[in-house]
Order: sequence, then structure tokens, then C-alpha cells
Amino acid sequence: MTTAPAARRTPSAVGYRIGLTVVLALLALAPLVLPPFWQRFVTEILIWGLLAMSSDILIGYTGMVSFGHSAFFGLGMYGAAAALLTVKPPDLWLAGLYGLVGAGVVAAFVAYFATRLRDIYFAISTLVFSQIFYVIIFTWTEVTGGENGLTFSQPRLSLLGLGSDRFTPVTLHWFVLAVVTLSYLLIRRILQSPFGKVLESIRENEARTRAIGYHIERYKIVAVMLSGLCAGLAGVLYAIQNKFAAPDFVFFTVSGEVVIFNVMGGMGTLVGPFAGAAFFLLLREGLSRFLTEYYLIPLGMIFVAIVIFLPQGLLGFLRRRLNQ
Amino acid sequence: MTAEGPRGAVPRGNGGAAAPAPIVRTEGLTVRFGGLTALNNVSIAVPSGEIRGIIGPNGAGKSTFFNCLTGVLKPTSGRILFNGEDIAGLAPHTISRKAIARSYQITNILPGATVLENVRIAVQSRHHNWSMLRHHRAYADVVDRACAVLADVGLAGKETELAVNLSHGEQRNLEVGIALATEPRLLCLDEPTAGMSVAETHATVELIRRIARDLTILIVEHDMEVVMGLAHTITVLNYGEVLAEGTPAQIQANLRVQEVYLKT
Ligand SMILES: Nc1ncnc2c1ncn2[C@@H]1O[C@H](COP(=O)(O)OP(=O)(O)O)[C@@H](O)[C@H]1O
Ligand SMILES: [Mg+2]
Repeated sequence: MTTAPAARRTPSAVGYRIGLTVVLALLALAPLVLPPFWQRFVTEILIWGLLAMSSDILIGYTGMVSFGHSAFFGLGMYGAAAALLTVKPPDLWLAGLYGLVGAGVVAAFVAYFATRLRDIYFAISTLVFSQIFYVIIFTWTEVTGGENGLTFSQPRLSLLGLGSDRFTPVTLHWFVLAVVTLSYLLIRRILQSPFGKVLESIRENEARTRAIGYHIERYKIVAVMLSGLCAGLAGVLYAIQNKFAAPDFVFFTVSGEVVIFNVMGGMGTLVGPFAGAAFFLLLREGLSRFLTEYYLIPLGMIFVAIVIFLPQGLLGFLRRRLNQ
Repeated sequence: MTAEGPRGAVPRGNGGAAAPAPIVRTEGLTVRFGGLTALNNVSIAVPSGEIRGIIGPNGAGKSTFFNCLTGVLKPTSGRILFNGEDIAGLAPHTISRKAIARSYQITNILPGATVLENVRIAVQSRHHNWSMLRHHRAYADVVDRACAVLADVGLAGKETELAVNLSHGEQRNLEVGIALATEPRLLCLDEPTAGMSVAETHATVELIRRIARDLTILIVEHDMEVVMGLAHTITVLNYGEVLAEGTPAQIQANLRVQEVYLKT
């Protein structure tokens, strides 16, 4: 048998490339034409989308539902804050490093303990762990600022050897777009790799995957680490955009929203969670203008309608094409 | 269908001249589920290269025996020696890596994956399984081996179909293909022809004969014609105990076996 499908470009692979290029081009141009409020809004959607995508690694690909992503996101945020407050002058890349280390440590902790559990027990243990971190952050006022959180100044955009400059809304958007795009491409490649196919096999049939020789727990630990680091990166970006870190973002309702982004957008597609985040945030923005806090009622009804009529989510129909 | 395989030098477990060292041997294997003793002091030795039939009425403990052998269950007591090493109680993935594989009585596949992926992931468990930065299809060695296994089990041409869409008989063969793809030395088949048509059964018997050239096979089977035709030696379990052991002819002539099992 001579099979070299990797070398072959199928029509749908070409379609994927064209689609991705068009979407990225639109996202890059968006801040040039949008008013400041919407400029910022689109940047924020990208950040929430990155967080939701990180969760999709577990929900959509490995079949593990995490209700603890707020902890990884939060630690990314507070890690970045630590770098920006303690190191003078504030350094963009150091903020990223600290944030990733913070999220990575928490992810290692959660991964080690939670992956011993399955299904709902895994989900609950991630929730419990994230709430533990919430309480620590909320109460350890001397270090974390407690309820008020931490505020800091924005680092300058420095590209190795190219000098540095203050972020403008447009360069910040481009910076976020670049980080998010690279993360997406890297995660997508990892999920297409032999390692990623093991995760999918665990989702399909964990017992059988173990029976053919895979040490399931190790794969799950790496999956949680990967997901946690990616969520931490989103936290770093959020900190840089907003110049603060606050305990509200470590609270479990954030984790719940992340799961909703996945369900709305389409689990197991990586890009679906971005669509889910965009859809949810736009709806909330629109509805809360008229309905103040009652916006949750129509939002909830729309969510239920999606679950019933579009159980695959908004982009679920693209699943097979996106994962080739 | 002849009772004997075509091979001359088949190692036999039933005494005689210098029997080869058994590839797998159990010593006093016992499994209790609460008050129920599913296996009671089972001691069996299977010589390398043999096809061993395991028969017995429903609930006799046949599947439980396989569960112990493959690490799904930890025996209450007793030892399982595989090439001389005690593997009782090891994790399923560890046992798999020692080259023991099984198929399941109730089809146990990756339903939402393609037929090729079901077998490819099993091949991959021995090659590149931690690689993260290249597309899985770039590992042509794994893909080619998976395609070869699919051809072996009669599923060539079905590669891109979803496993869930295969017919029952095809899923049974995929089941065997997944097991084979892990390159086992010992293959445990739990009722591989269950629910198959006559033609499918015949094809599966031929398949088992073919793959038996390179490995040792334990087969649980309810179809007497199949098991009598395939096995060199048959072990009869009844209420978790070994009732009889011998060649198919001996088993068919055994009065106790006839009493509890064969007479219908
Ligand atoms: N996990 C289990 N828990 C409790 N009882 C079990 C379990 N597995 C099997 N049994 C019982 O052990 C006995 C042997 O079952 P099994 O090995 O499946 O029989 P066979 O495969 O020979 O039909 C049966 O009485 C069955 O009900
Ligand atoms: Mg059985």
C-alpha cells in the first residue's frame, strides 16, 4: 500500500486555508474601521475565544468537562500582574512568562489530582480546585489586593531588536490577534498529531484506549496542562489589555461561561468556541442595553434553543472539515 | 471442516514428549464478586503457538478469565505467569505492552472514529505515540501497517467509513483488527463470531487460522463447530472451575462434559 495523504491537498483543505485567511484578514482590518468601543470589543472577543478554545481541548477533544478554567485564566492574569508590578520597567514578555508559569503550576496541580477522577467527578473537582484558588486570591489581601485586585500600567510593545513603543488600541489588537492565531495553529497541530489522536480516542472509548496500551492518566495530565497554559495565556492578554487583575475573573461563573461558549459555538472544532464567545458577548452587550440585568432571561432561552435545535453548536457542522 | 490445523509441529499441552514452556500459565486463579465465585482455583497452561478453546455454559467464568489476563480485573488470589512473569493485577495498558491483546464479547470499538483510525491508533500505541508536532498521517509507517491489518481482517476499502456504520459482522472483525494491530504474542478472542452469519463465521475462522501462524490464541466460542475445528486443545469451565481439558475429540467424548454442557 502506498499512501501519502499528508502530501495531498484535498479540496476541503484548500477551502480551510482560504476560509482561515479571509477571517484573519477581516479580523486584522476590523480595528481600522470600527469605532473605539467596538475596536476594544473585538479584541476582547479574541481573548475570551482563546480561553474558550483552551477549554475545548478538554471538552471537545478529550471528553473531559472542566468547570475550573477561571483558575488558569486568573493565575495567568495575576502572574502577569506580578511581573508588571515588580519588574521595572514593565516588560511584556516577562508578563507572559510569569503568567504562563502561574497558570502552569496551577494546571499541574489540578491535572495531577483531578485526572484521577472521571466524568462528573472530574468536573466537580476542577470546580472545587478553582474555588480554592479564588478564596486564596480573595483573602490574601497583602499580595493579591484581595477584593480590589491589582492595577498596573501597560507594558510597552517590544519586539526583539525592533525597539519598543506604547500600545495603541490598534497595535494591541494586532498583537492579541497574532498571539491568538499562533496559539490556535499550534493547538490545532498538536490535536492532529499522534498525541492528539490519543486524546480523541480517550473521548471515544477510554477503556479500549487503555486496553491497546495507552497510559490514559499521563495523556490526560498533559492535556490539562496544555489547556491550562493556553487559558493562562488568555489571562495574560486580558491583564495587558485592561491593566488590572481582579478576583471576579477567578470566580467559577467565568468557568461556566467558558463551557457555554463551547456549547454555543461547537465543541471539538477549536474555532467554534471563538464563534460562541463572539455570539454570547454580542448578545449580552445588545440585550443588556435594553434589559439591564434581566438580559440573562432571553440569553438563557437562546442558549436552550441552540442546545435543542443546533446540538452541535453554531460551527459544529464544520467539525469534520476543520479537523482533517 | 477438519478438526486439525494444517500444521505438523503443533505443540500440545497434554503431556507426551518435551512440551515447550507455556507462554501463559495460571496458578490457582480465583475471582470472587462478593459471595459469587466466578473463578475458582483455575490452573491452566497454554503452550506457545497453540490455539486453545475455552468453552462452558453462560456464566462459567470465561470472560472473567480474560478480564484477569488483560488486567481489567485483579484476581482475588492466584498467579498469572506470562513468559514466566507474574502479570496478575497489572494495569491493562501495561499488560498490553507485554504483548497480550484481546477482543471483546460485546463490541468495543471507537464508534465515532473511522475504521482506519480505530486500527491506526492501536498501531500507533507502539510507535510515535507521544509525538506532538507532526500530523498523524505524516507517519506513513503507522498508516501503512494499519491498512495492512485492515486488509488482513477483510475490511480493505472501508477505511474512511465511521466504525459505527459498519455491519455487525464487520464490527466484530474490526474488533479483532484492533487487537491484532498492537502486535500481540497472545491473543484472547471472546466469542469473535457471536451474531455472525454463516458466511461471516466461515471467513472469521479462516482469519483466525491465518493469524494463528505467528501467535498463541485463546478463544472463547459458543459455536461448537467453530471451536472444535480451530482449537488444538479445549478447556471446559463450569461454575468457575476447570471441568475437563483435552483435544476436541476427547472433549466430545467426555461424559461429564456431555452431562453439563453438550447435551441440549
Ligand atoms: N464485574 C462483575 N461483578 C459481579 N459479578 C460479575 C462480574 N463479572 C462477571 N460476574 C459474574 O461472574 C460470573 C461469570 O461471568 P462471565 O465470566 O461473564 O461468564 P461467561 O463469560 O463464561 O459467560 C457470572 O455469574 C457473572 O454474573
Ligand atoms: Mg462471556
